[in-house]
Amino acid sequence: MRKLFALVERELLAYFSSPLAYVVLTAFLFINGYVFYLIVAFLNDPRTQAMAPLKLLFGGTIFFWLYLLFVVPVITMRLLAEERRTGTLEVLLTSPVSEGQVVAGKFIAAFVFYLFLWLPTCVYVWILAGHATIDFGPVWAGYLGIAVLGLLFLSVGTFTSALVRNQIIAAILAFAVLVVVFSIGLVENIATGAALKGALGYMNLWNHMDDFAKGIVDTRHLVYSLSLTGLFLFLATKALEASKGR
Amino acid sequence: MIEVEGLTKRFVDKDAVANVSFFVPEGEVLGFLGPNGAGKTTTMRMITGFLPPTSGTIKVAGLEVAHDSLAVRARIGYLPENVALYPEMRVEEYLRFRAAVEGVGRAEMRARVDEAADRCMVADVRRQVIGTLSKGYRQRVGLAGALIHRPPVLILDEPTVGLDPRQIVKIRELITELGREHTVILSTHILPEVEQVCRRVLIIDGGKLVADGTPAQLRSGFSGAAQLAVQFEAPEAEAQAALAKLSGAAGVRSEGGGRFRVAVEGGADLRREVFSLAVAKGWVLLELVQTTPSLEDVFLRLTTHDAAAEAEAPVAEVANA
Repeated sequence: MRKLFALVERELLAYFSSPLAYVVLTAFLFINGYVFYLIVAFLNDPRTQAMAPLKLLFGGTIFFWLYLLFVVPVITMRLLAEERRTGTLEVLLTSPVSEGQVVAGKFIAAFVFYLFLWLPTCVYVWILAGHATIDFGPVWAGYLGIAVLGLLFLSVGTFTSALVRNQIIAAILAFAVLVVVFSIGLVENIATGAALKGALGYMNLWNHMDDFAKGIVDTRHLVYSLSLTGLFLFLATKALEASKGR
Repeated sequence: MIEVEGLTKRFVDKDAVANVSFFVPEGEVLGFLGPNGAGKTTTMRMITGFLPPTSGTIKVAGLEVAHDSLAVRARIGYLPENVALYPEMRVEEYLRFRAAVEGVGRAEMRARVDEAADRCMVADVRRQVIGTLSKGYRQRVGLAGALIHRPPVLILDEPTVGLDPRQIVKIRELITELGREHTVILSTHILPEVEQVCRRVLIIDGGKLVADGTPAQLRSGFSGAAQLAVQFEAPEAEAQAALAKLSGAAGVRSEGGGRFRVAVEGGADLRREVFSLAVAKGWVLLELVQTTPSLEDVFLRLTTHDAAAEAEAPVAEVANA
């Protein structure tokens, strides 16, 4: 456990000592702020029907998915690819830590950083609370959805970073896999046949996030995301084991 | 401490390491010699468990690397060839990280970091960011990281590469000192280093073990290599014939200008006989030196034949075409 903690600590230190972290943070805040402004401006228009603004912020618009698809590969691309490129992976994998611990340490650090990205959005909640009464149930559920989807997306990025030694290639691979994971459920809308439609609907992440934002915590959604997370982390561990000495 | 038995590593179509066996007792400093690409790093990586062997077994402290990988890793301190470090970390942060990963407890942490930093002479840069350090310092930080958990076995892959002469001397002293408490395997292609530091030497070439012994054994076991350099003012043919008749002379080669090289059998000393010969014949003796083969001679003799064969091969192909 102490070893895992040391791995997480080192990884977080690496995040915050690289300019990338601050670029990602700034860009993320800028886009998020802009979207929040758009939503509030849009809802202020008397012609629109009343809606919960945070529901729109959490997955209600394409922006949410766009930056999740772009930001996550940028967060995860460095994790294992960089260690392999510089050779520090050799030191790590000849220390008494298992491949699973290495993957877990990297993944947890990436998740902490991801949550840190979302932290400033709490300000939006505070701003809205000053002007209207807020139903906090959907807000909590929305953040839970963000966390759960984050786990899934980050596990994909961790996996692709374990495959290659080039960060850019790791990011592109992660993006490619994430587009598939994200869009497979969207095929539901054009699918025919009840069974196929049902299966695809189960995998429709957009609907999952929509439910979370409405305040619905559906265990099926949780099981889907968390089991995929487990699968990708398992694959990352196997990739790391197979790549020893390569 | 380390038992290697029939170790082979095959990459695609060629054996990087072919059927290598050796044993390293506890407390020995073993020098691993060989030209670049001979299989030194591959062998070391297999001992550390970083590279799985194609066949053969490796035991460290009685534990098989293939089965008890984590337990073996805990007993080995490894400094890889390129000394990979995290450039964004401070020296102290790095050492603390290495200590935690190697399983050093919280209570001992501070003492171990201090000890490693002192021994490897990096205490003066503890607060410095690794990326800003010189190559010599980085090498020593890597070494400090490798021995921070006081492992019984140290595996150092070319630890003195890229250091200036003064740093090389210091690192050698450190390795000699470490050899008193640890079993050390050290790879290098710097021969004087081996003579100074190692009690035993393995020479590997083309993935095969070609020699195994103490530096002195390797030199003396190399028969016919001891030579006598002689220069007379004398008739060429007569002098050569006289030298060849000396008992203990295995062969005489004339180098012109009255210079001769006499190959000596079994380490005999012929200088007295040569002097008496010169006195008896009334020749002026200009030079008389007995040379014993250096480890370098042994090394070159053992490892150059393959290179020559390889160099010939493409020529033959061209001729056939």
